[in-house]
Amino acid sequence: MKIIEKIKTNKSIDNQTEIQKICLDKLQSTPLPNLKSEQWRLSNKSKLSDFLDYSVNEKDPKFDTPFPKTSQSTIRLVIGENCQINLIKENFAIKQLSEDQLVKYIKEQISCFDQNENWSDLLNLSLNCAKNTLGLKISGSEIPPIEIFSHASSNTLNAKTLVICLEKDCDIDLLQVNLGKDNSSLSQSTFFFLEENSSLNHGVVSYGENKSNLLNSLNVIQQKNSEYNLGSLHYKFSYARFEIRIKQSEGNAKTNIKGMQISKKDEQISTYTKIDFNGPNGFLDQINKSLADDKSHAIFEGSIIVPKIAQKTNASQLSRNLLLSNLTQIDTKPQLEIIADDVKCKHGATISQLNEEELFYMRTRGITLTEASKLQLSSYFQEIISFIPVSKDRWDLLDILLNEN
Amino acid sequence: MVNENLVKDVVKEPYKYGFVTDIETEKIAKGLNEDIIKLISQKKEEPKYLLDFRLKAFKKWQKMKEPDWAGLGYKQIDYQDIIYYSAPKQKEKISSLDEVDPKLLETFDKLGIPLTEQKKLTNVAVDAVFDSVSIATTFREELAEHGVIFCSISEAVKNHSDLIEKYLGTVVPASDNYFAALNSAVFSDGSFVYIPKGVTCPMDLSSYFRINSGDSGQFERTLIIAEESSSVSYLEGCTAPMFDTNTLHAAVVELIALDDASIKYSTVQNWYAGDEEGIGGIFNFVTKRGKCLGKRSKISWSQVETGSAITWKYPSCLLLGEESVGEFYSVALTNNLQQADTGTKMIHIGPKTKSTIVSKGISAGNSINSYRGLVKMGTKAKGSRNYSQCDSMLIGDQASANTFPYIKSQQPNSEIEHEASTCRISEDQLFYLQSRGIEFEEAVSMMVSGFCRDVFNQLPMEFAAEADKLLALKLEGSVG
Repeated sequence: MKIIEKIKTNKSIDNQTEIQKICLDKLQSTPLPNLKSEQWRLSNKSKLSDFLDYSVNEKDPKFDTPFPKTSQSTIRLVIGENCQINLIKENFAIKQLSEDQLVKYIKEQISCFDQNENWSDLLNLSLNCAKNTLGLKISGSEIPPIEIFSHASSNTLNAKTLVICLEKDCDIDLLQVNLGKDNSSLSQSTFFFLEENSSLNHGVVSYGENKSNLLNSLNVIQQKNSEYNLGSLHYKFSYARFEIRIKQSEGNAKTNIKGMQISKKDEQISTYTKIDFNGPNGFLDQINKSLADDKSHAIFEGSIIVPKIAQKTNASQLSRNLLLSNLTQIDTKPQLEIIADDVKCKHGATISQLNEEELFYMRTRGITLTEASKLQLSSYFQEIISFIPVSKDRWDLLDILLNEN
Repeated sequence: MVNENLVKDVVKEPYKYGFVTDIETEKIAKGLNEDIIKLISQKKEEPKYLLDFRLKAFKKWQKMKEPDWAGLGYKQIDYQDIIYYSAPKQKEKISSLDEVDPKLLETFDKLGIPLTEQKKLTNVAVDAVFDSVSIATTFREELAEHGVIFCSISEAVKNHSDLIEKYLGTVVPASDNYFAALNSAVFSDGSFVYIPKGVTCPMDLSSYFRINSGDSGQFERTLIIAEESSSVSYLEGCTAPMFDTNTLHAAVVELIALDDASIKYSTVQNWYAGDEEGIGGIFNFVTKRGKCLGKRSKISWSQVETGSAITWKYPSCLLLGEESVGEFYSVALTNNLQQADTGTKMIHIGPKTKSTIVSKGISAGNSINSYRGLVKMGTKAKGSRNYSQCDSMLIGDQASANTFPYIKSQQPNSEIEHEASTCRISEDQLFYLQSRGIEFEEAVSMMVSGFCRDVFNQLPMEFAAEADKLLALKLEGSVG
């Protein structure tokens, strides 16, 4: 109950929004997620309690964009105070959702929540006030790429919520950047609604600093003929948990996911995905890569659910893991739950270290061991990095990762 | 378009082992308490350490909760409504098979299990277990010549008490899980095999389990010990009559392989699965585990699971010895309202250990067929490897196939590979086979057989042929 008390002491009851009240009520019955459940059993309990240990910060800290090269062709938004946008051009429109629209949409989402599965969202929404919520409605085409930043400040717990509705035939590239600070916790919940024929190339880059924590939850609903592509990268968090829930509400939609998580020292980084096919002809291609070193712990749990209605689904899921040290631990669990019979579903998982034969070959060609390892890692990372939109042209993510490894 | 009804007809075949043998039996009162356990132990004239083992297990069981993580939907079992000991009445001591009640021999005859002398030509030694007791074990003298001990566990307790005391409960401890604890408290009979050092067992050993009584559970326990450089192939078969009540079968199997020893354990499980409405059938909650203790030891599980209303079974290998090998080959077929949650656990503890998992699940009707497996590489499992392959075949749009592989590694110098796929009987292939003049049923059966070939290849000859036939029979009427 500590967490509930904490939230309550952080704000006067009168100031609570309707959403906060609903979520607090729900949290009261489950103040902590069920740590014995499949979704939470591997989560490091002390790290989770560290996450909740900081006081809640509603004020937005000063934000220094870490990445240079702001381009004029990119729209850059920072979730927090004074985040306003209303852009109506010839080909497209980016409008802020009104508070009523936001509340209505979020309430609809909450009604479908599972207490345990969506615990991160409940926490996020109970912590969050209106000013740390950004809601956008986007329509049209030829929209410039959008970058959206969420950040935490030291010694506090920050909660940010992002809601984006893509109207019919809309097509955008969107990069979400979650930044952790020294001794901080960031709770990020994102809700996407993709209408018919819309397409979203979504990138998530989350990186922390010393002892920063992240609970990152992503909920996507896809209507028919929509396409959702996600490229994600999580690294340098003491504790990071990335939850992806995608529902193809009518089937006939396409989802591609390429995720990467890098853990070192005593970090724990986990990815949980649940893909729900609620109609026929759904498509999924997912790959999740982990690199775990030192005493870290990497977790991947992915589930693909294909009910009877989802005939002709074509889904594949692959979990690839590199385990680099004797003290590292990797857990992976790709799952299939299938009732429809006319489907093509497969999954695979591998855990290994860098290929010794390849290293040996490169060394015989005069490449040093360090260089050879870097080359191998580079090819391992490249597949994911190149899938993250917006960042690839201007950010040197690959260089950053390789120089840190 | 495949005619759905036609295919469904292919899977439906009446359960031919569903008869009841009308024989006088000795049963104890229903219920489970310390007195019952003492009574079972007394009936079996057991030494004190075994009674203590049972009572300790019972105490642990009382504190445990029935597991529900597999999400198997079945109505609550009333453990006080079960008879824990039921044995056919017979003369005190049996010196030869001629003294066994002819009705019993007839039963096993009907099941195709040769117990009588004139039929013992198949070169397979059989231990036949009827409800709670072992009726007969064949070829004992021949086996004894090689030093192989093959008898019921009750006899082993009397004649080889040292081995039982040394090994019983060392692979599956009494507190391992709810059903293992229950079995440890009330186990009635089962088989015991001991292969001495350097001996290759001259024939396949086989146990046949038959539940005859509708209100008694079967709680057998099997213990196989393979000493250094020995090897054995063990077969297990099971059937039960058709009752409209559910019968509980909670067995424990423990295998121990020392240096360079090899144990091959094959099962064809065909317990009564209940009717089309899901009424009746056996609840099959079994704990099977092998310990590769010695260097280069090998334990291989192969199973064909076609029966039981509910199957909850994960034959596992603890790979302790350096370069030890664990294998698991499984075909699980579910039809109507059957539920199967089965798979394996490969725990790599020693260095350079290897494991292979090949699992084929076929779900038809309204059944649920899940593969649940664990592969774990411990910190010392340097140079170890695992390869897993789990394929599911769905027949009809009401059946469900799930795959839940748990993969855990703490060793960088090890490799784990897992792959799973789902498919159905392809209309194109069916069409092709039919266009070549092959009957529909035969075509379906051929395709299922092809799907399971990797596993059937691992079964001993007699079993492979039986399994193939069994699958064809079970599948009659369900492809769609």
